[in-house]
Amino acid sequence: MIELKNISKTYPRGEAGTIEALKAISFQIVPGEFVAVRGTSGSGKSTLLNILGCLDQPSSGRYMLDGEDIAKYSDKQLAHIRNAKIGFIFQSFNLLPRTTAVENVEIPMVYRDGRVDRRWALTALERVGLAKRAHHFATELSGGEQQRVAIARALINTPALILADEPTGNLDPNAGREVMHLLEDLHHEGRTILLVTHDDAIAGYASREIVLRHGKILSDGSTAMHPSSSRVEGAL
Amino acid sequence: MKVRTLVSQATRSLRRYPLRTILMMLGVVAGIASLTVLSSIGEATKRETMQRFKNMIGTFDTIIVRPGGGRSRGMPTLVNVPPTLRFEDASAIAMEPAIRAVAEMQTAFDIDSKYRDHTASPVVIGVSPNWLQLRSDEVQDGAFFTEDQNASLARVAVIGTDVRTALFPDEDPIGKTFRIADVPFQVIGLLTPRGAGPAGGSLDNLVLIPINSAARRLFNRDFLTMLIAQVKDPERSSEATEKVAALLRERHHIRPPALDDFTITNPAATMAQVTRASSTLTKILTGVALMALLIGGVVIMSLMSIAVSERRKEIGIRRSVGAARGDVIVQFMLEATLIASTGGMAGAVLGWGGMQLVTRIQKLPQILVWRPFVSAIFLSIIIGVVFGIYPAWKASRLDPIQALRS
Repeated sequence: MIELKNISKTYPRGEAGTIEALKAISFQIVPGEFVAVRGTSGSGKSTLLNILGCLDQPSSGRYMLDGEDIAKYSDKQLAHIRNAKIGFIFQSFNLLPRTTAVENVEIPMVYRDGRVDRRWALTALERVGLAKRAHHFATELSGGEQQRVAIARALINTPALILADEPTGNLDPNAGREVMHLLEDLHHEGRTILLVTHDDAIAGYASREIVLRHGKILSDGSTAMHPSSSRVEGAL
Repeated sequence: MKVRTLVSQATRSLRRYPLRTILMMLGVVAGIASLTVLSSIGEATKRETMQRFKNMIGTFDTIIVRPGGGRSRGMPTLVNVPPTLRFEDASAIAMEPAIRAVAEMQTAFDIDSKYRDHTASPVVIGVSPNWLQLRSDEVQDGAFFTEDQNASLARVAVIGTDVRTALFPDEDPIGKTFRIADVPFQVIGLLTPRGAGPAGGSLDNLVLIPINSAARRLFNRDFLTMLIAQVKDPERSSEATEKVAALLRERHHIRPPALDDFTITNPAATMAQVTRASSTLTKILTGVALMALLIGGVVIMSLMSIAVSERRKEIGIRRSVGAARGDVIVQFMLEATLIASTGGMAGAVLGWGGMQLVTRIQKLPQILVWRPFVSAIFLSIIIGVVFGIYPAWKASRLDPIQALRS
């Protein structure tokens, strides 16, 4: 479902020239995979995530999503892909302030066809265990709850691909575990998940790990040889 | 995308920051309120002026000739005009092709009138029998005098409502004989009241008698205090005025540089001047109010631009869940338009209240001028759209990745 071919991304940097965030990255993700992209800061993992999420375009290379080349898409078409095919989960939750949980969950519906289905939004909140807090303002929720609202928002348009950017980075271990369990559940339901993290243990939840360093793929393989998830939980 | 969803999203955004929303509205509220008040007052004043003018002159297809040159103040009467405007002049003017009819007048103020033990001091005016048509006066009771009555020097009178109240408080005046300066006259008609003149005084304290009866039986004067000429083509009343002036100069042997011994006023021209003056005032006031409205628009634009910077993250979030640039533009323009139109409606209501107050204090006619209201709403919507463009464009140009990071 995702096919990256020689994806490079260079940014201009002052007068000195350019900085190469990604250097000819290639990999494929098939539907239903749970992939972790791991790397230290500056490894290019955020750039990769932005390109996969259609928020950024690669400088060169080809990004095929569901067999379609993203490069030829207009701003409007890219917005449609972000809306219908991709669900974002961010490290800092990114909920609208002064807005209730359920209203936050409804926002992707606004940009789908404008038909805002309150009951469907409540169902999504129920799915993440927050039905009772639906009418609380985002700022009244704990970090873990906010992230679960964000997950409900990511799920609302039933996207094929979920992109999670350090989803546990701002959470305490317990809340982090809950969020990771939720992602695991989604994976078991057959959703494709791409998780970006610097954390070895978090990456352990995924079935496949791609390690990035200095914009290049260092390793790409199954996490089966990793210790069992009980050790992972211990690390959290 | 559904309009209702968009509007409800925009309303929610505005309610999230109530203080900022109200501040953004204030300028438009003030602008629209003053625009409504000022243009309504301008309109009301104009109508009031026209009405008073019309009360005095009657119709606008007449020109007025008075004896004496230069500027004279007040009504010309037998005691304050030179005896230069003659009956023969009136007949000559009546022959002029541009003129349809002429009414002769002899006016005298404060003439003692008596009926039994009731007294009054009305304006007594000797007029031609065609007076009613030329002044668009009306007789509400009885009849006006005829050409025959004028020719036979009949002692008949048509009285105004003030005179009727003073002399015949308890009885029907028609058919009664009363004395004007000791000359008996029979009341044959009662005029419909005209109301107030330009100076605010009553125009109904008068007695009309046939001009010939006035000249021979009452005043013993053979000159006129005024004559009214009806022009054939009201569109060309200025031309007719020139022709009448030329005719009178010839008859009175006036050659430049000698000054005219008469004055001609053209009510249509005067009216146009008055209207022009008052509409100039209205225009200036409207301009000032428009400036206020424009400032209101600039306030919306600058506060909205600040809001865009503060809401970078929100914009980033919306972009990441599927908002295209166009959606962001629509959102911010809609917010600006909602602010401006809500402010506009509030301003219109406020302005309506202000107008009620002013018309009451100034005793202007209570008129509901709908045009300012409609244009107020339209204007505020336009203001919202125009001044929403820049902030909306700015919001749409934000890089979603940068916006999310902020």
